[in-house]
Amino acid sequence: MVEITGSKALFEALKAEGVRDIFGIPGGAIIPVYDALYDEHNIRHILTRHEQGAAHAADGYARAIGKPGVCMTTSGPGATNLTTGILNAYMDSSPVVAISGQMPTQMLGTDAFQEADMLSIMLPITKHNFIVHRIEELPIVVRLAFKTSMTGRPGPVHIDLPKNVQVSKADLKIPAAIKYDKAVKMDPGEEEIRKAVNMLVNAEQPVIYAGGGVIWSGASAELVALAELLGAPVTTSLMGKGTIPEDHPLSLGMLGMHGRIAANLAVTECDVLLGVGVRFSDRATSDVRHFAPRAKIIHIDIDPVEIGKNVRVDLPIVGDAKRSLISIIKGIRAQVQRGRTSAWLQKISKMRDELAPRMDYDEVPTKPQRAIKEIMRVLNDDSIIVTEVGQCQMWAAHFCQVKKPRHFISSGGLGTMGFGFPAAMGAKVACPQCDVVNIAGDGSFLMNSQELATVVENKINVVSCIFNNRYLGMVKQWQDIFYQKRRSAVSLGKVPDFVKLAEAYGAWGDRAARPSEIAPKLREALKSGKPAVLDIPIDPDEHVLPMVPSGGKLDEPILT
Amino acid sequence: MMRISRDFHRRQINLDSITVGIEPTGLARIILTFKADDRMAEFMRKVLVRSEPIIDVEVIEPENSIVREVALLKTKKLDVGQLWKFIQLVERAGGKVLENKDNILIAELSGDHDEIEKVIMELGPEILKEVARSGQVLISRETT
Repeated sequence: MVEITGSKALFEALKAEGVRDIFGIPGGAIIPVYDALYDEHNIRHILTRHEQGAAHAADGYARAIGKPGVCMTTSGPGATNLTTGILNAYMDSSPVVAISGQMPTQMLGTDAFQEADMLSIMLPITKHNFIVHRIEELPIVVRLAFKTSMTGRPGPVHIDLPKNVQVSKADLKIPAAIKYDKAVKMDPGEEEIRKAVNMLVNAEQPVIYAGGGVIWSGASAELVALAELLGAPVTTSLMGKGTIPEDHPLSLGMLGMHGRIAANLAVTECDVLLGVGVRFSDRATSDVRHFAPRAKIIHIDIDPVEIGKNVRVDLPIVGDAKRSLISIIKGIRAQVQRGRTSAWLQKISKMRDELAPRMDYDEVPTKPQRAIKEIMRVLNDDSIIVTEVGQCQMWAAHFCQVKKPRHFISSGGLGTMGFGFPAAMGAKVACPQCDVVNIAGDGSFLMNSQELATVVENKINVVSCIFNNRYLGMVKQWQDIFYQKRRSAVSLGKVPDFVKLAEAYGAWGDRAARPSEIAPKLREALKSGKPAVLDIPIDPDEHVLPMVPSGGKLDEPILT
Repeated sequence: MMRISRDFHRRQINLDSITVGIEPTGLARIILTFKADDRMAEFMRKVLVRSEPIIDVEVIEPENSIVREVALLKTKKLDVGQLWKFIQLVERAGGKVLENKDNILIAELSGDHDEIEKVIMELGPEILKEVARSGQVLISRETT
């Protein structure tokens, strides 16, 4: 009989789940775990400079690699600082496993130093959460946490680990390693698939709307195969960018408030809309009463709660995206093929070409559209684009052509400013061979810029391109359009100098003052062998357009 | 319990009652009663099914089930007329007087929600001092 401590058992259990990297910050209530980490040579711990950074990094890591990202903090303020990052992961269905220290069980509820009721605080923002009362529960709690985070619809899980459990000893059996791809999958109903096949085969003007569920199901190849088989154009949600290569002739780009006009018009005109792995967010649908008004809607999702929640659905299919798409493809292949009326595809193709957004501006300060164009010239198909939140995010989502799933990482549901930089750090740790570029606004970047210390100290060479307009740009845009240009509390003034900020941390820093300087300086940044910040002053008056006002109709965007 | 009540609170649905009992299998059976249209009831069913610790959710329509609630009624100090009114009303409703100390009575009453509500209304605040109610328990009539 060999007794081990709870802290040692935690690492044995994490290794059995295949964990190699942890983002975190130690503190009083988790010192025993960090003491065990001292002897742990098979796990890389990345010391972030704020717990929110650790949570976003774990989230970015998970989205880039398709496995749970892990973050770890102390109790009280350490744990509460995780919450924004955990909710962010919850809203975007990202598997993050968060572990925080806690007061010893006998002190719970006494308002002890750095005690926070994390079980209650984490409850509404996680897929599930645990408190470990006894050391014997620890191995199974860790197994359940990882299993829960990855099975069905992914999501974050929190483990509250009291200090007495960390130090107590027991003879524990750690469950054997399992592979994540053994996650439970759900098969769709045969009858629903048959009906879906009939609806799609008989559609004159079908459109497919793909989301993050397609990425988590690993169903991109099936999505493209179905689109080609049907001759159906594909639009995506923000989370679904990369599910179909965006240079594919059937790709329409993103749908919604800041979506491509062609995508919004196609959805408005289609007669059958197949939504797969999407939640029909209000940012995508705008006014649901006018969303896809002529279409029968088929909705495939692994989470039954999503079906019928936001839009009326004519055919619900509860199931795994990949399995559902495979079944639909089989069903269509078994039927007699009739040629798709090419009129719809011709119309789509024409709309796509005629309504393609303009990016070739030469003005100084640089127009953001041109900045994206220059960045895309430098990046390759394997580069991972991460975004902050706001105008920079929507320019990236609207203009970037993403070719592969997991190569566009953005905070969708929660819209968390400060997400991009630490998430980029996580993505780079997960995929060190890929170039990782964070498309940032100056406002967002400053919300977690302390992680410059983390990336420099740990040699995590991500590049942040700061779209610097010295404004909280998206709020300013709303004030300009909907509040008679009454710009209230949106000017960020003249500081900081982002080049000096980067250099202060020992990172590479430079400024691209003209559009023609962006590509060469970005190349230099990527080759610098250091984390880098490229400051790109942009036109402060530029809005993200087109824009469908909140609650408006998708086919009635603001264009100028 | 916190998980469940929060799911309702967040969607602005008022739970009329929550009762919990442990089944012979060791699992907890939680009975929730609330008012909602069919669409919202189905939505809440799916929300509850999704919650990790919940094993199964059954929607039981009142007409296909037996519904009971227990109430304990405590009176003020009653005069003779009030005392007889109380005993009569309780016994007519199938209830039982459990105690009488100095004309302060405690009685138990079981039945469906509306029956109990009716008795409480008829007795009124002149007679009743305190009422403790169990919340509704119900079981489906289905045999399969």
